[in-house]
Amino acid sequence: MTDDDFALSRRTFLDRVLLASAGLGMSTAAPWAARAAEDIPKGQRVRIGVIGTGDRGRTLIQNLNKTRNCTVAALCDTFEPHMAKARAYVPANTPVFTDHRKMLEAREIDAVVIATPLDLHARQTIDALDAGYPVFCEKAMARTIADCSAMVTRARQRGKILQIGHQRLFNPTYLNALKRAQAGEIGPITQIRASWHRNRSWRRQIPPGGTEREINWRLHRDRSAGLMTELATHQLQVANWFMGGLPTRVMGSGSICFWKDGRDVYDQVALIYDYSDGRKVIYTSMLNNARYGCEEQIQGSKGTIEPELGRIYQEVQPGAVPALARMRADVQAGRKNTVPIGGATWFPELPVTTPGDSLGWGEYDETMLQFEGFGEAVRSGKEVPGLLAQAYHASVASLLGEQAIDQGKALAWPTDLVTF
Amino acid sequence: MTDMAASVARFTAMGTRVELHLFGCDDPAPLAAAKAAILSVEDALTIHHPSPATALNDALSTDGTATVEDRLLFAALLQVDALWRETGGLFDPSLGHWSALTIDRTNRRVSTARPLTLDFGGFGKGYALDHAVTALLAMGVGSALLSAGESSIAVLGPHPLGGGWPLAVPHPEDEGAWLVELELQDASLSISSTIGAGAAKPDRAAMIRPTDGAIVTTPATAVAAAATGAEAEALSTALLVADPAARERLRAAAPDRRFLFPHAAPVGAKRALEPTA
Repeated sequence: MTDDDFALSRRTFLDRVLLASAGLGMSTAAPWAARAAEDIPKGQRVRIGVIGTGDRGRTLIQNLNKTRNCTVAALCDTFEPHMAKARAYVPANTPVFTDHRKMLEAREIDAVVIATPLDLHARQTIDALDAGYPVFCEKAMARTIADCSAMVTRARQRGKILQIGHQRLFNPTYLNALKRAQAGEIGPITQIRASWHRNRSWRRQIPPGGTEREINWRLHRDRSAGLMTELATHQLQVANWFMGGLPTRVMGSGSICFWKDGRDVYDQVALIYDYSDGRKVIYTSMLNNARYGCEEQIQGSKGTIEPELGRIYQEVQPGAVPALARMRADVQAGRKNTVPIGGATWFPELPVTTPGDSLGWGEYDETMLQFEGFGEAVRSGKEVPGLLAQAYHASVASLLGEQAIDQGKALAWPTDLVTF
Repeated sequence: MTDMAASVARFTAMGTRVELHLFGCDDPAPLAAAKAAILSVEDALTIHHPSPATALNDALSTDGTATVEDRLLFAALLQVDALWRETGGLFDPSLGHWSALTIDRTNRRVSTARPLTLDFGGFGKGYALDHAVTALLAMGVGSALLSAGESSIAVLGPHPLGGGWPLAVPHPEDEGAWLVELELQDASLSISSTIGAGAAKPDRAAMIRPTDGAIVTTPATAVAAAATGAEAEALSTALLVADPAARERLRAAAPDRRFLFPHAAPVGAKRALEPTA
């Protein structure tokens, strides 16, 4: 892609974001979108120090490289094979560190991006904030709800930007879906069924020099809540967003059902999140069947939205009974014909397979757009509105779900959370 | 063509599609009244969300007793009681326990000697159409055909072109073939079948013979015409679940209005087939 091509497709993407975020109520539901899609003023690029250069970290580096206002100015990782791969994406003279505190002390950056295992997020975020740097941290926020709260509190105490990566918040298909839901096209949303089903172990081969806990940190409970923090967080954010509120309680069940390979995080979870007025989010995730994949089925009285598929479906009203339609036509034509009617009661309650309509607009670089928004927040000292609350509540929901599973009982939404 | 003018309502109720076809009537009020009557019956008898019927079930499921305040529900109970007797217990929305039930008409009290619950099922559709017909008659409608899920049909008055309404019950598996053709006027028709698309619905309740608790799976279709939808529903259900002797007794009372078609039987018959199931 040439620079011109990139600029053109970027402009198209941003126009779609702007269009999708311009609807009634959208300034409240997605206040970040329009701001993030604004033109970026000329100026010094924000120098980013990236902590964590594994698969996700390198993806973030590539997205940072696409932005018009950020540049990767330092890399940090304790695992050399990852660092070696990451160096391929940055200038050869980019400083590298094995200790994030050394990178912070070097004072050669303007902000920090964190893409490390979950259990490290809180410590590294707070260290960076204490060092005076704005922070962009990958979701989920932290391994515990207390740490999530501590990150928000410290950002406020330090007066620094804290932004958490949730790319769906910038995805024009999701924004358009929300706009259409807010316009009432699918009626009041009463249930969201969300699933993330994969058919692979999630276990990674350990390269020379690596350790099980470093490479397969997602499979170890002291480092990650597994499916809940690494996958469910995304969809619980979407659920809260479309429900326009937070859960009141959660109940769930989990098991190590298929991959009995020494992991101690669940490979199968099923949860119900209650929302006000009896509304529910039903969530499942598993690692040994991919038939139903990743999707949120957002269901209202008039229709359904499936944003991953980019489809919106209207509820199908029963069609006219053909025999009675013919009877009416016959009567109008002065014909008296026998009406063939009758049999076991007609039921509509079978799955509907109508194709629905497109929500339009395939994926683009929403991760890049997050960073452009972050870059402008760093430049202006003003956070992108609304993002942190979305991320915080999604992380709390995922961790509370894990607790509900562990304890085998319904847990109420915490009352001691940070308020926004 | 004014007297031919038809007005129609299509809506979902009682878990199925309902169609109301009125002829010679341009006034929307009768349609609205008929629809309201059907929805009122649904509200009273449904067990799929809290209703007077579920409140009664709560009491009866614990050997309890209850006063039934809801007018539609209490009238339905009285009608079911009469039909239970008429069918020798073969129509029983309590799955064989109706004999345990005592209805105090004066005080509208219902008591049971053993735990039971009621599921009005198909009876509800016929009963709802009866109330819709009553509403239409009260508003002067002279010709109408009402359908609830195509298994419950009511015709009011003559066909708009005169005479009765010619209705044919299709074979559930042989497209284009009919099981029976009937001409009805001011009557209701009910069809109960163990086969066909609707019968294949995954969570459809099994047909159960109340007298011995047996699940009836023999491929067959029962057809009953009667003065009211409630009676037609009770009779079609009873015909489908009855043993041969009981079925013959039911049929003998009105052989040109009560039919049972085992699906090994030939199709296209214009007259009732002998029951063999």
